[in-house]
Amino acid sequence: MALPLKYHWRNLFVRKATTVLTILVIAAVIGVFTWVTGFNSALKSSLAVASDDRKILVLKRGSTSETNSAIPVDEYAKLNQLTEMARDPNSNEPLLSPEMMTQLSRPRIRDEGKTWGNIAMRGVTDAAFKVHSNVKLISGRQFSTGAQELIVGATTARQFSGLNIGDELQLGYSGNREYTIVGTFSASGGPMESEVWGYLPSLLNSYNRTMYSSAALRIKDGVDPERVLKEIEGPAIQMSAWTEPAYWKAQTENIGKYLVVTSILVTAMALAAIFSIANTMFSMVAGRTREVAMLRTIGFSQTAILAGFVIEAVFLSVIGGILGCIGCMAWLAEMGNTKDMFGASSFTSLAFDIHLTAWTVGTALAAVVIVGVVGALVPAMRASRVAVISALREP
Amino acid sequence: MPLRVVYLYRNLTRNLSRTLLTCCAVALPMTIYVLSMAVIKGIDRFLDNSAKQLRLVVGHKTSIINPLPRGHRAKIEALDPTHQRIMSICGVRWIGGTVQNEPHPLSTLAVEPDTFAQTFSDYYLTTEEMADWQRNRQAIIVGRATAQRFHWNVGDRIQINPSVPPYTPFEFKVISTAPKAIDPITNICRLDYLEELTKQAVTIVPEDWKLQGWVSFFFVKCGSQADVDHFRVAIDALFAHSPDETRTQDEKTFINEFIKQQFDLPRNLMILASLTVFVAIMAAANTMSMNLRDRMNETAILKSLGFSGRVIFGLIQTEGLALCLSGGLVGALTPYVLFTYSPLRNFTVPLIQTLEIQPIVCVQAMGIALVIGMLASAWPAWVGLRLPVISALRNLE
Repeated sequence: MALPLKYHWRNLFVRKATTVLTILVIAAVIGVFTWVTGFNSALKSSLAVASDDRKILVLKRGSTSETNSAIPVDEYAKLNQLTEMARDPNSNEPLLSPEMMTQLSRPRIRDEGKTWGNIAMRGVTDAAFKVHSNVKLISGRQFSTGAQELIVGATTARQFSGLNIGDELQLGYSGNREYTIVGTFSASGGPMESEVWGYLPSLLNSYNRTMYSSAALRIKDGVDPERVLKEIEGPAIQMSAWTEPAYWKAQTENIGKYLVVTSILVTAMALAAIFSIANTMFSMVAGRTREVAMLRTIGFSQTAILAGFVIEAVFLSVIGGILGCIGCMAWLAEMGNTKDMFGASSFTSLAFDIHLTAWTVGTALAAVVIVGVVGALVPAMRASRVAVISALREP
Repeated sequence: MPLRVVYLYRNLTRNLSRTLLTCCAVALPMTIYVLSMAVIKGIDRFLDNSAKQLRLVVGHKTSIINPLPRGHRAKIEALDPTHQRIMSICGVRWIGGTVQNEPHPLSTLAVEPDTFAQTFSDYYLTTEEMADWQRNRQAIIVGRATAQRFHWNVGDRIQINPSVPPYTPFEFKVISTAPKAIDPITNICRLDYLEELTKQAVTIVPEDWKLQGWVSFFFVKCGSQADVDHFRVAIDALFAHSPDETRTQDEKTFINEFIKQQFDLPRNLMILASLTVFVAIMAAANTMSMNLRDRMNETAILKSLGFSGRVIFGLIQTEGLALCLSGGLVGALTPYVLFTYSPLRNFTVPLIQTLEIQPIVCVQAMGIALVIGMLASAWPAWVGLRLPVISALRNLE
């Protein structure tokens, strides 16, 4: 027979100070845990969009990102010999997009322009919208070919100022070409939503360039991407090629390292919370030895007593966990949930929004339950093994 | 006095599991605090060193990836014909790079060799290293952490694949691992060697890549802070409305912008450290309140025997302080010993290699532990001080 849940719930309020202090410890730890999980999850979901292994990014051999890659037009033309390239069903044109990568600096909205970020600016042609098929115009209109017009990724428009439809930017190598923003696009929340796009020939001209930075291509269904990568890297083409997920994984490797460091520190904090819960539960057990003996006398089993104390710890933890999640939500609401970080070698910002999704909150609450159970296990075992006769004799 | 010490000792050991758990609950946050502060202080030292060097960084106004013509150097030098306010100018070109079969990118800069040593005097090159640097165009100064990672030693011939055209492997000779430089990662090679190797590439790579006669940044070493402030404005004014306008910042601001875009580690660690201190306060306060409740009767008896409220207050406070100081001591000394004396130091992970836990951070952590102890036992000690003896004795079980 199990003890009623009401009994455990009421026990939490017998020692209010201890309960409140333990809840605050858990809330602080879970607040941080939720933020780190939310950050990680936002980054992963952004990268999950860029996980199309039918899309291949081609760079100049030896370069580490699109920023420092330069592909002469004649070398780019060699890619046309790839027989595995998918073709547009209407025009039968190969799905191959020449692209140029440069940067522009804009002030961040969240700190009212105190700091600036480097935003990736991609020069593209119509082919890009067929290769990067998740890029869709969501407001305004498409840039006109030949005109100095731009469309802006929705995430980057939210992060940086001066990137709204109608805004004008002084761009070009010497900052003397006036570009107008005419539209906003979505890339399903992926890394390309952190970019600004313009017409390739216009941007090449504005930045005094004749070479492309990279090429993106789509391969036919059923073709092994590894085979295409080898062919591009082979003697006939001699360029370096990445599948889209591999490229973005490499570019965000630095962010992953920071997250590992933070996660280690949060784990240490969680251990401190476990010790705190254990302390509270030991105190609860010590204060209720006679009560436990009484419960055993009237027929409650050792397992019921053990489970009872664990349930109390879980109650305590879940309340702390919920408070921690609310605290994290309040922090994000107050301090802003938008983040942007440098890519490993692109030197451009990857922007994303941290949202507390059901999965993030669920993970936090699952973690807090584990913390509660681990913290309560030893004290609960001690409680379940109380020697009934001697405990009842105690004053 | 000895009686109080004995009483304190007995109080701390009468519920050993509670004392140990509290010590751990304080020690862990203190460890996090010490590690976080060590990283923050390391970054601060780096930034402070940059500020002390009185260097300006001149980059292209439109973007950090647009290069500047090397001719800018002479124009900037002409701003100070006396050479008393602008001590030296060094053009720097980023070449990144990778090592064969190693995907992680390197940080490698090609610098103008004639002014490097004067502009970057914080590399503390020896006379012999200086002679090697001047004599050998293939000379490279490798960051000590990078050298350790790839087992490079002075005298070794190494190959780096640059991340810029012509992308073919460059051969270098290691002349120093810059043991005293504050940056343990970055490698420094000669710009004239880079330009010599890229000369051939110019025939195949169009001019727009700007392989010859261009640099990513100029580092301008000034004579005083007033000169830094003056030339920060004067240099940008000099190139205003030219095809290659500049954006000049002091080196500290320039580096700080990069740090802020890389996870903003100092700010995030500071928040984490503050929260861990909060966790430790709550955990210790919990223990002290449990102790007070368990010993309420005992406290009442002590008072009835004639011990004053102030003595009770002192006893509870001392217990809280001793408890937290023990936790603080363990929490602060563990990372200090681990990162100073253990083999962990030899791990070729830059964050670990560069992590220096200064004794002052440990002392600060122990100071914070004492404050935690004081705060955690404040309420129980106050209750002890104000405890009405009669009603407390009435509640004797």
